[in-house]
Amino acid sequence: MPHLKELYRTAVRLLGDGPKAEDVVQETYLQAWKSFERFAPGTNCRAWLFKILINTTHRHRRNWFNLHLVKESEEILEQTAAATPPIPERFARQEILRALDGLPADYRAAVLLADVEEFSYKEIAGVLDVPIGTVMSRLSRGRKLLREQLSELARSYGIGQAGKEGSA
Amino acid sequence: MSAIPPGDAACETVRAQMDAYLSNELPAPGGREIAHHLEGCSTCQAELATRTRVRAQLQDAVRATPVPDRLEDKIRRAVRGRHARPRTGLWAVAAAAAVILCAILIGLWRAQPSPEEAILRKTAGPLAAVLNVGLRDHLQCAVFRKYSKQPVPAAQMAAELGPGFADLAPLLAAKLPADFRIIQAHHCSAGRRQYTHFIIAGSRGKLVSLILTRKQSGEWLSAGIHQAGVDRFQVAAFESQDFLAYVISDLDAEQDLRWAANLAPTVREYLAAHGNNT
Repeated sequence: MPHLKELYRTAVRLLGDGPKAEDVVQETYLQAWKSFERFAPGTNCRAWLFKILINTTHRHRRNWFNLHLVKESEEILEQTAAATPPIPERFARQEILRALDGLPADYRAAVLLADVEEFSYKEIAGVLDVPIGTVMSRLSRGRKLLREQLSELARSYGIGQAGKEGSA
Repeated sequence: MSAIPPGDAACETVRAQMDAYLSNELPAPGGREIAHHLEGCSTCQAELATRTRVRAQLQDAVRATPVPDRLEDKIRRAVRGRHARPRTGLWAVAAAAAVILCAILIGLWRAQPSPEEAILRKTAGPLAAVLNVGLRDHLQCAVFRKYSKQPVPAAQMAAELGPGFADLAPLLAAKLPADFRIIQAHHCSAGRRQYTHFIIAGSRGKLVSLILTRKQSGEWLSAGIHQAGVDRFQVAAFESQDFLAYVISDLDAEQDLRWAANLAPTVREYLAAHGNNT
């Protein structure tokens, strides 16, 4: 089945829950099957499936708690020009995923689509149905928050304080 | 075309574009300028290396997610089932109507949850339990309880709060936007838990609660302010050493967050100084 793995892993990270992700992915394929005649041959099938996935996820998430973790003050609204505090070179996968799950959902989606699924900004704009400028700002803020969370995690372990390498 | 010179301002310019550079989305001239700057700037090189590494680690972690074995079969069956329906006849319409009627009757028969329970049941996610602690009191005491919206006199608030919290009310009042005021301040309980509750009302019917409750075992929030939305409510939560604190409102998400960021230092400072007396 085309792109099942990518759709599933994205859904798990957007919903934070395997069974819900399974439902959403199933609904995505059903929806794709139903509206296949609307799919223009030659266009990007993968991006089209992701667009259906994102819409389905939004519908499912509407009533779920949409957890955001944001930094105190309005740092989040600032540009991402600041240098990153020290981040150790290795983290356990679970720690990376936990940090990712702590991002606001919109930022998380942008980061997943750009950094994991490697869609172009233009494709992401189509998938999320937002202007490219919005994609860029969500991606920058999402990446910045992720770095900050990892660096905070490192601090809580007492590593990376002097900019040295550490491992988790 | 001039290359970006090394220096703090230049580094900021480069870092602001570094995400697009990392995604290979910068048009050629900008990309070349950044590449040129990077050659002579070890700080920006290190920053790019960090961002590249975090992206690689993220890719690795997310891509390692295993797909459940049965999922592909399940989806194939669902697609086949959806597209192999029997022809719809009158009997099928009647059967569908009967099923719908049963569903409605069962729905009606089930005990209706209270309005606050109905909202609390919508919540899920890793910190929902901790965020619900505050939300429960807001719903029960500020939203679904009948009370006068006229502000209680300051002396009465002080008396209801007792010596432990009486001084906090004026400190909070000083931090509020001009069109908001504290209308009630008291101790209350919800779900067998004690809260200190400031109900703040604004123009156009906006309602904000600042809620404090002592942490119980296993309850914690990491640093920063956590924010979530459910139904029409926004919940922002932060912690002090011994307390969980919540700003819950029907404001929009960003406003609610600003409120929490604005009140958090005052609340934390107060709890740190008076925590033992409360």
